Amino acid sequence: MVSRRPEEFGDDELVTSAQQGEREAFEVLVERYKQKAYRIAFDFTRDREEAKDLSQDAFLQAYSHLRGFNRRSSFYTWFYRILVNLCLDSRRRKGRVSWESLDERTEKGTGLEKIANPGPSPDQEAMRGELSRRIGDALATLPPKQRTVFLLKNHQGLSISEIAAIMKTAEGTIKAHLHRAVMSLRARLTELA
Amino acid sequence: MAERHELLPGACKDFEPELVLYHYQDCTGTERQRVESHLESCARCRTFLEELRSFLPATVQTDEPAPAFWQDYSREIRTKLAAGEEKSGWLQALSFLFRPWPVPAMATALILVLALTFSKGWLPTGQNTKESEPAEMVDNVDFLNSMDFLDSMALLEAVEGQETQNGETTSHSL
Repeated sequence: MVSRRPEEFGDDELVTSAQQGEREAFEVLVERYKQKAYRIAFDFTRDREEAKDLSQDAFLQAYSHLRGFNRRSSFYTWFYRILVNLCLDSRRRKGRVSWESLDERTEKGTGLEKIANPGPSPDQEAMRGELSRRIGDALATLPPKQRTVFLLKNHQGLSISEIAAIMKTAEGTIKAHLHRAVMSLRARLTELA
Repeated sequence: MAERHELLPGACKDFEPELVLYHYQDCTGTERQRVESHLESCARCRTFLEELRSFLPATVQTDEPAPAFWQDYSREIRTKLAAGEEKSGWLQALSFLFRPWPVPAMATALILVLALTFSKGWLPTGQNTKESEPAEMVDNVDFLNSMDFLDSMALLEAVEGQETQNGETTSHSL
């Protein structure tokens, strides 16, 4: 029988191995979900370092509580719930996030990306920066639940049922939050235009 | 802002929430059919849907860090996981003392020891003396042995003294 590589195992098998103390199995799960986790944390924080720290903290919390994971939901849903809660807690602790433009934040990074990809012209970049700032401001005005639902739906592409599972809320309530969030953003962006 | 929201040309009230879900392609087959048949006859809702299609994707701003970032990310999380595991090993060892079952077990053992101590150990009763007799006897064995030894010494001395006395008497008589 040909033995499979850890990367070929499903989430359930990896979780079982990790629950038995195999840290390497959990590291495979980290590799599998690190980019998604980072992106959702970035949606909440708009800060590269903070998004990295929050997503890593979510993995650490998941690992330390893995024995208590009862498999009533998928690992992905369970982990997302931990991550979203951490993002919301972080936001509560810090008060309202100052939503700097994505471009400003990215420039604080390595800068290598810009050299590799020269990107749009200065005019286009200025317009993109302005739009980014407006969107950031508009998102910041949303109440936390509406914003969470909107980010999970619009940015992460999760289904209504997945969001309901993560937020432990009825699907009807999630739909209502999404509708209100979309309408508020539409109104806010029109107001700023 | 609420007033302005009301002033914006929106979709038909009955269809607005469903149009949002329709945009995200997250509605049931029946809902989709209902929306699509309404859109055929309602220009206002068609405009609203077009508007959603143009502004909602624009709100997504992704960050694509360089590969080096992901390498650092993986290295850092591996280090943190290893450190966490080491720490949790120590905590687990310490938490053994605070688990639910050792506490009552230890308390029961302590109560039993105290009960035995107070009921038998420290009370100055006759029973106590009787029970301590064997121990005292053991302690006194050496003493008694030495006493025996002394007795035998005295006996020997007495015998020796008597013999000497007898010798002197004999010599005198000679």
